Amino acid sequence: MLFCLILGNYLKTFIMTYKVTEEGNISTVFLQGEIDMDVTEKAKEVIMPLVESKKEVHLNLKDVQYMDSSGISVLIESHQKANELGTKVILKDISKSVLKVIMMAKLEQVLNLD
Amino acid sequence: MNLSESKDFLVTSASLKEIRVFSREIFEKININEDLRDELVLAIAEAAQNIVKHGYKDIADTTDRMEIKISLKENELEIGFFDKGKAVVPGNVQHRKLDDIKPGGLGTFFIKQIMDAAVFKKDQKGWVNHLVLTKKI
Repeated sequence: MLFCLILGNYLKTFIMTYKVTEEGNISTVFLQGEIDMDVTEKAKEVIMPLVESKKEVHLNLKDVQYMDSSGISVLIESHQKANELGTKVILKDISKSVLKVIMMAKLEQVLNLD
Repeated sequence: MNLSESKDFLVTSASLKEIRVFSREIFEKININEDLRDELVLAIAEAAQNIVKHGYKDIADTTDRMEIKISLKENELEIGFFDKGKAVVPGNVQHRKLDDIKPGGLGTFFIKQIMDAAVFKKDQKGWVNHLVLTKKI
């Protein structure tokens, strides 16, 4: 039986919202909005504790319409931390605009894209 | 179509959204296609972010403003950034090597990928830095 706990952890900042669901050892973070320097600390506050608890973290980026180099830094940092702890961060349903920035940074072979 | 519009913004990361909105509205007016528009907005936002992050490093809660001027003349787009932060030494503005995977250091790389040129000019009056990004469209 699948156990799905919706934490209902919606947090609204000026431009980014998120929701976290948990299923077994997988935490999925649904990010929504625009991820820039102004919200990266908040994004890290959401993602990094999940990684540090050694869960497999899925970042659903379907509804992220914009991501800049600060957002890319969060993806790199969480990916590297997960590697260090023997778990992984997987990017799911990546929006076209975010995929373009990931490819511009030549990170499509570095990050886990699904 | 020729055009020139400028707007000033408080130097803070909270202005980045407003800067993107300002830029998108101008690029919509001049009918730049969506893909290029997204790239140009990213380049502008990265340059503005560099002002906030590096030009005003260790300066909290400034009331300074930066000005962004977007001009189009004979199919050349020119985007000027004026700020009163720390003086930029152009030779020190470098992006990290792409194979050195670590957080940070990509903003300048994105700007160079997207724009034809990025030059710091010495013609600023009343400003400390004047960065000009150009691209033929």
